[in-house]
Amino acid sequence: MALWFLRGLGRQVVTTRYPSVLDPWASALPTPPSFVPSRLTAELVHRLVESCPSGALRQEDRELVLDVGACTACGTCQRIAPDAVTTSGVFELAATARAHLVKRIPIQGGDK
Amino acid sequence: MAVPGHEEDRLAARLAGDIHGLFGRSLHIRTIDTGSCAVCESEIRLLLAPHYDLHRLGLFFTPAPRHADLLMVTGPVVRVMELPLAKTYAAMPEPKLVVAVGACPLGGVFDEDEIVRGRLDQVLPVDVFIPGCPPSPLALLQGLLVAVGRLAERVGALSFVAGEETSK
Amino acid sequence: MTAPLLWAAGTAWVLAAGLGLGASRKIFLLAAGAVSAAGGAACLVGGVLLAMRGRATTTTLGAGNVVGRLDLRAAPLASAFLVLLGLVTLAIGCYAPRYHKPERGTAAYLCAYNLAALASLAVLVAGDVTTFLIAWESMTRACSLVILRHWRRAGVREGAFLFLALGEVGFAMVVAAFVILATHAHSLDLSVIAAHAQSIPIGWRSTAFVLALLGFGFKAGLAPLHIWLPAAHPVAPADGSAYLSGLVIKLGVYGVMLFGFELLGHGPLWWGLLVMALGAFSALIGILYAVVERDLKRFLAYSSVENVGIIMTSVGASMTFSYYHQPVLGAFLLLVALYHVVNHGTYKTLLFLEAGVVEHASGIRDLDRLGGLVHHMRASSVISLVGTLGIAALPPLNGFVSEWMLFEGLFQGFRVHSHVVGVLILIAAATIGLTAGLAVLAFARAFGIAFLGMPRSAEAARATETGQPVLGPGLLAAACVALGVGAPAVLVALDHVVRGVTGVQLRPMLLVSNLTVIPGHTNFSGFSPTYLAVFLVAVTVVPIAIYAASRPRGATQRVPVWDGGLMSYRARMQYTATTFSNPVRVTFQRLYRPDIHIDRASDDPAGSSGPVHYRTKVQPIFEQYLYRPIARFVKALARLLQPIQSGDVNQYLLYILVVLVVAYLVYAW
Repeated sequence: MALWFLRGLGRQVVTTRYPSVLDPWASALPTPPSFVPSRLTAELVHRLVESCPSGALRQEDRELVLDVGACTACGTCQRIAPDAVTTSGVFELAATARAHLVKRIPIQGGDK
Repeated sequence: MAVPGHEEDRLAARLAGDIHGLFGRSLHIRTIDTGSCAVCESEIRLLLAPHYDLHRLGLFFTPAPRHADLLMVTGPVVRVMELPLAKTYAAMPEPKLVVAVGACPLGGVFDEDEIVRGRLDQVLPVDVFIPGCPPSPLALLQGLLVAVGRLAERVGALSFVAGEETSK
Repeated sequence: MTAPLLWAAGTAWVLAAGLGLGASRKIFLLAAGAVSAAGGAACLVGGVLLAMRGRATTTTLGAGNVVGRLDLRAAPLASAFLVLLGLVTLAIGCYAPRYHKPERGTAAYLCAYNLAALASLAVLVAGDVTTFLIAWESMTRACSLVILRHWRRAGVREGAFLFLALGEVGFAMVVAAFVILATHAHSLDLSVIAAHAQSIPIGWRSTAFVLALLGFGFKAGLAPLHIWLPAAHPVAPADGSAYLSGLVIKLGVYGVMLFGFELLGHGPLWWGLLVMALGAFSALIGILYAVVERDLKRFLAYSSVENVGIIMTSVGASMTFSYYHQPVLGAFLLLVALYHVVNHGTYKTLLFLEAGVVEHASGIRDLDRLGGLVHHMRASSVISLVGTLGIAALPPLNGFVSEWMLFEGLFQGFRVHSHVVGVLILIAAATIGLTAGLAVLAFARAFGIAFLGMPRSAEAARATETGQPVLGPGLLAAACVALGVGAPAVLVALDHVVRGVTGVQLRPMLLVSNLTVIPGHTNFSGFSPTYLAVFLVAVTVVPIAIYAASRPRGATQRVPVWDGGLMSYRARMQYTATTFSNPVRVTFQRLYRPDIHIDRASDDPAGSSGPVHYRTKVQPIFEQYLYRPIARFVKALARLLQPIQSGDVNQYLLYILVVLVVAYLVYAW
């Protein structure tokens, strides 16, 4: 009992101080993807849409539509096209309207 | 979707101020599972652990909807849970907030069929949507604080285009 | 002033009996009720005046008459019982016209009831042995006619038979006790017997005491002599049951007190201990059987057994303390016993009258099928609630005051200079404590299941207040509150009574600064029922007033009760009376020996197995192990003696010859 107490004193306070201070490990949280519009081609977008296991990606006209609400941050799209897709690093995704979670990324790569 | 006009903006701002005044420092949360896989519940349960310590923010869980200010809904709203969900929402006194947690109530996992409704905002007026599968406890904290007006929503202004303003 | 009032009461009841004979017409029914109530009021006032006077008055009827004379004596001991008689008959007089229908059965019933009231009055003012015995037997007979109102229904004749049979056995014992005393005192006058008490040899006095205790115990409902109560009460009409439980059993208590405190003088230690032991046993048995009882009236009957036990415990402890030269505590516990007599009479009568209202409104007495009566029977629910709070001994009502005083008296057992007896008194206190706890459970169950929640059957859902009597029970509810909050006034009156009986001046050891009650000693404990009542009202009313004044307008919504979000909440999902008392049934199963049968339609798992029937029955152990063996023995004895009654005339002539020869021989010597 005393040992646990002393060990705790040694470890100091582990409670997060969010929202005033962001913990350093928060950067390792799985987050939805960010896209590089210049590297997105129609064919790549088609492959990304097919591969998304939760159906968060779809193509409309010349835009790639990312539904952040459906994204599970599995990382599949990043594994398929690592130079076109990166992690956004954003985990603070709360939205007051459903429409705020639907993002449109222009497809500007390859043949226009 | 119609663009909110000046009057609606003013009313929304005033309502937000009221909500912050009422709930900013003390909020009671009632969770309800409308058919989820319980992983979101694990993350919600972690909020009471010493690492995240929900109580330091003045947020508490309560099992009684009569004492609750905010309804936290997980799961894709299966049809047999619609009546208990409606009863729970009706048992909460005004003013009340609704938060949809995870991809399920956002319509991201299941399509509407004879078993599930799929989307929570077709059944209840939702104030905050928290995406994630499951959302991490920090994301849940952010969502709750957005609901009570202590933090501002951030995702609306983001574009998810690499190299632009997507930063911590 | 007392005597004229009591004469007026008696006359009123004779008149009401006569009017009652015409009760197949509504006007006579109303008149009989009104006159009976008036008689009750006269008796009530007469009793109060007698209590305040504290001395006895005597009158003789028919002195110098050839037929016989009746001595009447209004003594202080009887005054508390006269007050109770007045209160009970007043309430029942207001209740009966609305409860009964004008028909021939009602006419006979009302006549019998009023004659029973008259006979009870005669018992209480009897001044000599013959008057007492004639009045006692008349009361028993009249009460059996009261029970037999609906004699064609199932169980009525058995109930009345049990009442009459045990009443006769008790009467035989009482006659024997009186005969012993009268023979030794050479007089039939009760005051003369009381004066000669100490000169009677102790063996005879003890025999008389035991005979009186058992004989009057049959009427009082002291366990194990109580079995007529659960048989007779459910089948009698509600006001008849109320009269039985409210007054008649108290007459048994009066008989024991008469013998114990007036006619026998001071006795050995074991008298008090015996009464205390029987009282504690009766209290516990009564409430244990009450808790598991489904029939509302039988439940109230068992609760009467419990309360008689409490009163007897107080009487026994009083005798014990007096033996150990603690006259103040002895007088105090006698006062508590008298106070509890009045209190219990008040709220038990109220509860029986309300049980009658419930039975008339819904047609059922079964707690498992009642429920939700509060929605359509507001007045009856409030009145029943007052009675329930009183009998469960919750402050600030009268039951609380008398039970508090009883406990405080018993807790002073350490003042007795005998460790063994002190421990015995404490065991009695602990038993009464257990009883009090179980009583709260039992009455929370009875009131909650019957009145609150959702109706468990269609009949309960249909019950309404219209046409139900409210005035009589309402008067008793007001009396409960008055006896509780105005306890200091009641105690002043009872102090006069106790001084008249025991000669002990209790007042300075009872009431401090007019409003605080102390149990016989100044440095033990104390509380004020009046201040407590005021405090409780303030603590309830003031926050409500503050809230109501500060609440924003229009902020209230009426919403359904939160039921956990279930798909549908049905009445069958509620607790039933049987399940509510299940923990007690399981804990005391050695006593109840419940007979449990479970029938399943099939062995399939729950949900598809079809209906499951669960039957549980509590064994009547007193009937099985005490009364039936005695009855079998008596029948065997009778069969042995059967040949004497051969019907043969020659044999009977032989008997006459034998008796003549024996008489001649005896006379010749």
